[in-house]
Amino acid sequence: MVNESPAADRLSATFAALADPTRRAILARLAAGQTSVTELAAPFTVSLPAISKHLKVLERAGLVERGRAAQWRPCRLDAAPLRDAADFLERYRRFWEQSLDRLDEYLRKLQKSGAQPKEKKKHVRRK
Amino acid sequence: MSVESSLVREPADRVLVIERTFNAPRPLVFKAWTDPARLVQWWGPHGFTTTVLGKMDVRPGGAYRFHMRSAEGADHWLKGVYREIKEPERLACTFTWTDAQGNATRPETVLTVLFEERGKQTKLTLHQAVFESESARDAHNNGWSGALDRLGQLVGSA
Repeated sequence: MVNESPAADRLSATFAALADPTRRAILARLAAGQTSVTELAAPFTVSLPAISKHLKVLERAGLVERGRAAQWRPCRLDAAPLRDAADFLERYRRFWEQSLDRLDEYLRKLQKSGAQPKEKKKHVRRK
Repeated sequence: MSVESSLVREPADRVLVIERTFNAPRPLVFKAWTDPARLVQWWGPHGFTTTVLGKMDVRPGGAYRFHMRSAEGADHWLKGVYREIKEPERLACTFTWTDAQGNATRPETVLTVLFEERGKQTKLTLHQAVFESESARDAHNNGWSGALDRLGQLVGSA
């Protein structure tokens, strides 16, 4: 999608970053507070380089920040993109809840007015 | 830790699921989604008016484009391509917000709507996902929507 706006790109990056169980687990860990890469990798069976790769994806998506000052370069969760993604979904929910309310009203109206040709039932006519 | 375990276990390969039961026969409910004259009667939040732009080409590979105007006069456009039409039980299409020229302004999503008979009623299940639009690549993407909810709550309250 060449013409996609920056906002759409950012959201796509967030969703893509979340599309992996290890990365979600990393985020869950970071939600509890900042930590080092080594500590972060400890509960996982995957290698440290693999964790670093996941961290890079999360960093690119703006979900994780690495400290510059400290030598152990702590990883920290940046929640803003998550908020945007949650807003994106919440808007869809509102959209559908309200549309379906209207669909419900419309279907009632249709049936009350008899505008809708009823489905033919097979009647066996008896004398 | 509850957040972590739910992040890992949440069986969600979906973004959004909404269920609704209508007091109407299934063919009627289905038609409200596929007949443009009927669709514009209800499509969009309260106070919105919807116009179908061009032809609503309801068949696999066929496209649609809508213009929507809110009660306050704000304009919205949306486009998509039908992927599956199985009357009267299933409908799937892509769903993307666009600008006036039809360029995507939000990530493409895939909308799937199921219609099930429940006696004289119809149960509708609407399912909207972000990843499916990039198809098999993200086949492993279970669990993230719950993660998002929880993290969203977490950070929202921070």
